[in-house]
Amino acid sequence: MAEPKTAEAEELMSAYLDEQLAPEEAARVEKMLAESPEAREELSGLQNLLKLVKGLPEVEAPPDFYEKVAKKIRRRRLLRGDNLWLLALPFQVLSVVLILVVAVTYMLLHLDGDPSVQLEKDPTVRPPPAPSPSSK
Amino acid sequence: MSRVTDPDLRAPPSPRVEALIAEVVEPDEPEPQTPVDDASLTPAQREEAARRAEQDRRDRRLVRRLKEGDERAFQELVQTYQNRIFGLMLRMISNRQEAEDLAQEVFIIVYRAIGSYRGEGRFYTWLYRIASNTCKNRIKYLKGRNFHRSVEIDETPQAQLPASDGGSIVTLQSQVPGPEAATEGTRMEKVIQRELAALDPEHRLLIVLRDVQGLSYQDIIKITGLQEGTLKSRLHRARLALKERLQPYLR
Repeated sequence: MAEPKTAEAEELMSAYLDEQLAPEEAARVEKMLAESPEAREELSGLQNLLKLVKGLPEVEAPPDFYEKVAKKIRRRRLLRGDNLWLLALPFQVLSVVLILVVAVTYMLLHLDGDPSVQLEKDPTVRPPPAPSPSSK
Repeated sequence: MSRVTDPDLRAPPSPRVEALIAEVVEPDEPEPQTPVDDASLTPAQREEAARRAEQDRRDRRLVRRLKEGDERAFQELVQTYQNRIFGLMLRMISNRQEAEDLAQEVFIIVYRAIGSYRGEGRFYTWLYRIASNTCKNRIKYLKGRNFHRSVEIDETPQAQLPASDGGSIVTLQSQVPGPEAATEGTRMEKVIQRELAALDPEHRLLIVLRDVQGLSYQDIIKITGLQEGTLKSRLHRARLALKERLQPYLR
């Protein structure tokens, strides 16, 4: 088992490779490396690992990435609870207008066919004669 | 430039969105800026500091416009960071479709939560913090549902295209001599991805941020909230765990 000081120096090995140590910390690691072949082997293994990992290719987001983000934002904005009335409004208006149109059309057709209403509108129009029993 | 304004950006988010935002969005805190003219810096460090300063200025301008409701600014922010966030998700989740959905989710959260970004810290680290929190939540959720998918890296036709066509570049081939270098490189990428996916998510995140994406220790500290000493020792343990898993390939 490594002594506490050696273990501490070992933990600094990665930062040593990254040149992130203060001079006195770097000196401790270098002392450990000079004294321990195992430490040198570990350092060499880490160097190889870093070479491999840093060689991973850079990846690029798909070309339409922004368009997809913008589309999701627009969709969520529409579907948010406080905006649902906007989505529902045209259908409500459409339904009311449709009902009104049907009702008014029906009333107009009905009124045009009712003779009493025609007489009310124009008193000179004579109502059609009632069928006499002699015409039979 | 035309300006498309979105009144939603100035309105408070709905309770459901607020809950989601609260789960992954943390307030940005002031970050020390490296002075570009610091005499102790090497020329390369000075150049890097200047690049970061310019990037931060650009991000601040875009965030200000976004807060005013300019959707074009949001588009620029997404296009600036989409590869990095998608890359982070892909290396963390190992599934292209899942990674794309998650990366999109991150930008949707940014869009909804931009009002809570105070501009005191860097936008870049704020964005990465949202991304890593979103990713960790997703991994936890998938684990709870026993979700398991095999590593799909480079199995899609898109991934076989050159980078300019929306695919990835097989750079590992340069490490493998011989005429079948590209195939071998792709195979190695799958092996690394598979072993990366087997690591503990906390370890995986540190390796992806530091070794795959090349972020600085200072940025990783801001993103993960770890202390510097903890980051150093945890990153070392993560590397040792991966080294052990990849031992047969390190000869």
